[in-house]
Amino acid sequence: MAAVRAYFNNIWIALTTVAVGMKITFKHLFVPAVTLQYPDVKLKLPERARNRLYVNIDDCIGCDQCSMVCPVDCIIIETIKSTPDQDLGTTSTGHKKRLHVPVFDIDIAKCCYCGLCVYPCPTECIVMTDVYEFSEFDRNRLIYSFSIMTPQDIELAKEKLKKAEEEAAAKKAAATAAAAKAVQPSGAQALKPASPEPGTPEQPGNS
Amino acid sequence: MEALENLGVWGSILIAVVWSALPIVFILLYALVTLYAEMKIAAHIQDRLAYMRTGWHGTLQPFADILKLLQKEDTISSAADRKLFRLAPYVVFMGTYGAFSAIPFSSIYIGSNIDLGVFFIVAVSSLVVVGILMGGWASNNKWSIFGAMRSAAQMVSYEIPTALAILIAVMITGSLNLQDVTKFQEGGIHNWVVFGGPLPLTQKLLLIPFTLVTFIILFIASLAEVNRTPFDLPEAESELVQGFNTEYSGMRFAMFYLAEYANMFLVSAVTVALFLGGWTSPFGSFLSGPVWGLFWFIGKCLLLVFLQIWIRWTLPRLRVDQLMYTSWKVLTPFLFVCIFGVGLILVL
Amino acid sequence: MDLYIIVFYLFALITLASAAIVVISKNIVYSAFALLFTFFGVAGLYVLLMADFIAVTQLLIYVGGILVLLLFGVMLTTKVIRVDMRTATVRTFPAVVIVAALAGTLIGIFWSTDWPQSPASDGFERTIPQIGEMLLTSYLLPFEIASVVLLVALIGAAMIARRERKAL
Repeated sequence: MAAVRAYFNNIWIALTTVAVGMKITFKHLFVPAVTLQYPDVKLKLPERARNRLYVNIDDCIGCDQCSMVCPVDCIIIETIKSTPDQDLGTTSTGHKKRLHVPVFDIDIAKCCYCGLCVYPCPTECIVMTDVYEFSEFDRNRLIYSFSIMTPQDIELAKEKLKKAEEEAAAKKAAATAAAAKAVQPSGAQALKPASPEPGTPEQPGNS
Repeated sequence: MEALENLGVWGSILIAVVWSALPIVFILLYALVTLYAEMKIAAHIQDRLAYMRTGWHGTLQPFADILKLLQKEDTISSAADRKLFRLAPYVVFMGTYGAFSAIPFSSIYIGSNIDLGVFFIVAVSSLVVVGILMGGWASNNKWSIFGAMRSAAQMVSYEIPTALAILIAVMITGSLNLQDVTKFQEGGIHNWVVFGGPLPLTQKLLLIPFTLVTFIILFIASLAEVNRTPFDLPEAESELVQGFNTEYSGMRFAMFYLAEYANMFLVSAVTVALFLGGWTSPFGSFLSGPVWGLFWFIGKCLLLVFLQIWIRWTLPRLRVDQLMYTSWKVLTPFLFVCIFGVGLILVL
Repeated sequence: MDLYIIVFYLFALITLASAAIVVISKNIVYSAFALLFTFFGVAGLYVLLMADFIAVTQLLIYVGGILVLLLFGVMLTTKVIRVDMRTATVRTFPAVVIVAALAGTLIGIFWSTDWPQSPASDGFERTIPQIGEMLLTSYLLPFEIASVVLLVALIGAAMIARRERKAL
């Protein structure tokens, strides 16, 4: 008898639950859509959304901290020391710029959007923007170069550095030779950076 | 027509071809509409919008889908049995389309007004089972063969409740010819078989519970016959990829798809003709006539198709044992009781 | 040439060709599927003989029931494609004798039968009411016996298929 009751009870439950379910779905048929028509309407991103990286190269001092902290090594920075006669100016945060930055590449295809590069930057020049539509057909186009130095600039800066180094070396050699001649200890002074080179007319345009 | 008949045998062949090609025009149009409706209803039930970018509210999407299917490569896997693989979609569609010949679309249009009507439909749809088995086996793929086996087992078992439910309607109307069955229900909504038919009041009142139960059971069984959710085990995409048509692509896949949608309409049409008054107007002689008949018939069928879609996006899939339990231990015994009750009432 | 003649030859062709495939084919699955077209063609021939009920019953029972059962049987046998079906002729002499005797008998019967030719009637007659009445009046007893036999077979099959619970 219990089995019979269970049988009919089972059928009854099946019918009523189906009815309940169908009532719910029918109600939802008339609920306005919760989705957005994406390319036409966009969701407002949270204030601190992490998307495409942007580097304000004017403020970059080439400290390489962002590159070092990057867990996926997607930031590549090369620097060239400036010679003492060059004035590279200061950043908007007041830091003195001492290095040329000929290469500042970010492979955004590798980027994992962790945002770790943003925190160590002393001048706050690398930031995450809210741009997220930057798909490309060619993967190479996802490597962003932020440096604004032209090949000539780079060449010039390198030559200058080389010249300065050679002069410094020559000076050092002269100093050590003089020190060897004279017994008085002036080696400490000779080791100091070379004094401003006479006649450095043009500054590499890296402002 | 006269001029064509004078042409002799070719004229009669031409007339036969045109007459029998009318449903395929309808099936194609209907498939376009249903394809669109299915996606839209699914989306709105889930609080989405579905296609919005092809035409106004995505109305051109079905055309785009069909264009895509037309230009797709027709692939046949190297391990497949090529002959049977190619034949299967045609067999499936043949079974479905053959059944359309006995559907009374209107008082003036029925493919072939044969006496056997609904019996013929049940018999010819069994070709579909063989076609599915053929496709599944020829694909030489585990998913396909499992899907085909499940499909055949399911369709064969659910043929019994379907046939019994049809039998009850036939007992009340006294004819297998769907045109006669429809005419029997003329005169308004209260004369439909689902509400007891045009019988004396006491008989009618006694019949109503039985006919209502039969109607519901026929609807459930027809869902299983066409492999729709919650009985979509043969195509269970979470278990079997696509079931028997996993390996199919391009036009052959489109053929299976078309047959599936045509089948949805077919079972609705049988249910409508037997229980919901076919092409008769629900308001008696108001708004009746051959053209209105077509409108009422297709309207009622589309209503049932909507119900099928609605159920699809409501209920989860049944397990195999639950499927068999439903057929053999619930639907069939209930129908036996109904047959007994209806017979008793009709004799009294 | 009448349309009926064309249709007749069409169905006859379908029946004969598919029957030949059933016999000749070396692949057992092809044989099984070819049966579909044989049954279909025979049903068409029944229709041309004005036996529409028999035709539809043929489709329902043979295609919907027996053929599906057969296919299940064939498909559940493992290694269907590679099954080694013997097509070599064995015991030629007794086979020839039996076939010749059978063919002779059949041809003799064909020859001696006086085939009645009735004029083609316009349209179909209603056959179902007559069949139904006959089944429930003159042939009630055979009809009921057939149903009882089927019921017994059904119960027997269920009994055999049932799992013995105490066996374990």
